[in-house]
Amino acid sequence: MGKKKGRRPPVSGELSITSMMDMMTIILVFLLKSYSTEDISVKPSDDLEVPISSAKKPPRLAVNLIVTRSGILVDSVPVLGLERVPDEETGEEVVRVPDDEKKGQMISKLYDRLLEKAEYAEELSAKTGAEDGEFKGQILLQCDRRLPFSVIREVMYTAGQAKFGEFKFVVIQGGEGL
Amino acid sequence: MAKKRLGEAEELNLVPIMNLVTILIPFLLMAAQFISLAVIDSTLPAIGPPQPADQQEDEDPPLSLSILITDEGFTVKGNGIDDIVGATEEEGEDAGPTIPCTVQGCPTPDAYNTEELNRMLVEIKALPGNDEEENVILVPEPKIPYEVLVLTMDASRNDPARKGDEGLLFPFVVIAGGA
Repeated sequence: MGKKKGRRPPVSGELSITSMMDMMTIILVFLLKSYSTEDISVKPSDDLEVPISSAKKPPRLAVNLIVTRSGILVDSVPVLGLERVPDEETGEEVVRVPDDEKKGQMISKLYDRLLEKAEYAEELSAKTGAEDGEFKGQILLQCDRRLPFSVIREVMYTAGQAKFGEFKFVVIQGGEGL
Repeated sequence: MAKKRLGEAEELNLVPIMNLVTILIPFLLMAAQFISLAVIDSTLPAIGPPQPADQQEDEDPPLSLSILITDEGFTVKGNGIDDIVGATEEEGEDAGPTIPCTVQGCPTPDAYNTEELNRMLVEIKALPGNDEEENVILVPEPKIPYEVLVLTMDASRNDPARKGDEGLLFPFVVIAGGA
């Protein structure tokens, strides 16, 4: 017994990494496939659930207006908060723009911020003179699917007043339509 | 150096490749996007595409298709489509919706009968003189959730039976202020 033990070759402590390599290669290919260079991104949260649609048109870079159930953001910078009040008839919670934030249909703070963006974009396109960069008043709208149309209407009206007339509603691609 | 036994291949040193892959994976994980986004174009009515001038007024008025979205269902309005939508002499609120919800009071977005709306719009598009029409005006009530708007826009965009440009119904959506 003792003799045999002495003759055994020293056990190599090296790890076999071939199987790990296989796994890594598969993960790498999958991640490369889902690698995205899209201009915009959606950060879903409890207050922002973007609706699913059968639309196929890819988004292009533009001013990004996000309307969640708790507030409004322009290019990820918060502009104002929204309030939740119980509905007079049904008692359900309804999201709306606070009365002191708006003049008629117009949301003052949002108007100021958007006008700033529009003027900056116009100035930029005038300086570069590039046709591609010409300011067309395009605006990307990411809205929560549960928001009532009254809020969307006020936001659209305000954007319209601030020279943004081409609305692009951001949706999640899904389904083959009806 | 010890003489290698015949038939025993030398193992490849995979450690540098492993290093590279381990660095690449976190980077790609960060940049990966697992949902794909799309956009739906729309304009405000005041600055929307100009309506064609009334060349043949009276004789052949433009379609001016509009869909009212209420908490009872869809009401489809337009010129020359009374046979399809089954419009009655009654006007205003008494008339009721053209396509009522499948559940009374439309409690959820699914209750809106978008299949029926889509079928009706396919019929309207097939009417003579409507092949060039591409505009539809949506008039939602203030309480209608945004999701219903998107569902309605989906229903008015494509004819599911026909693929590509041929299947386009009314892709240019204008959202009007509503009541």
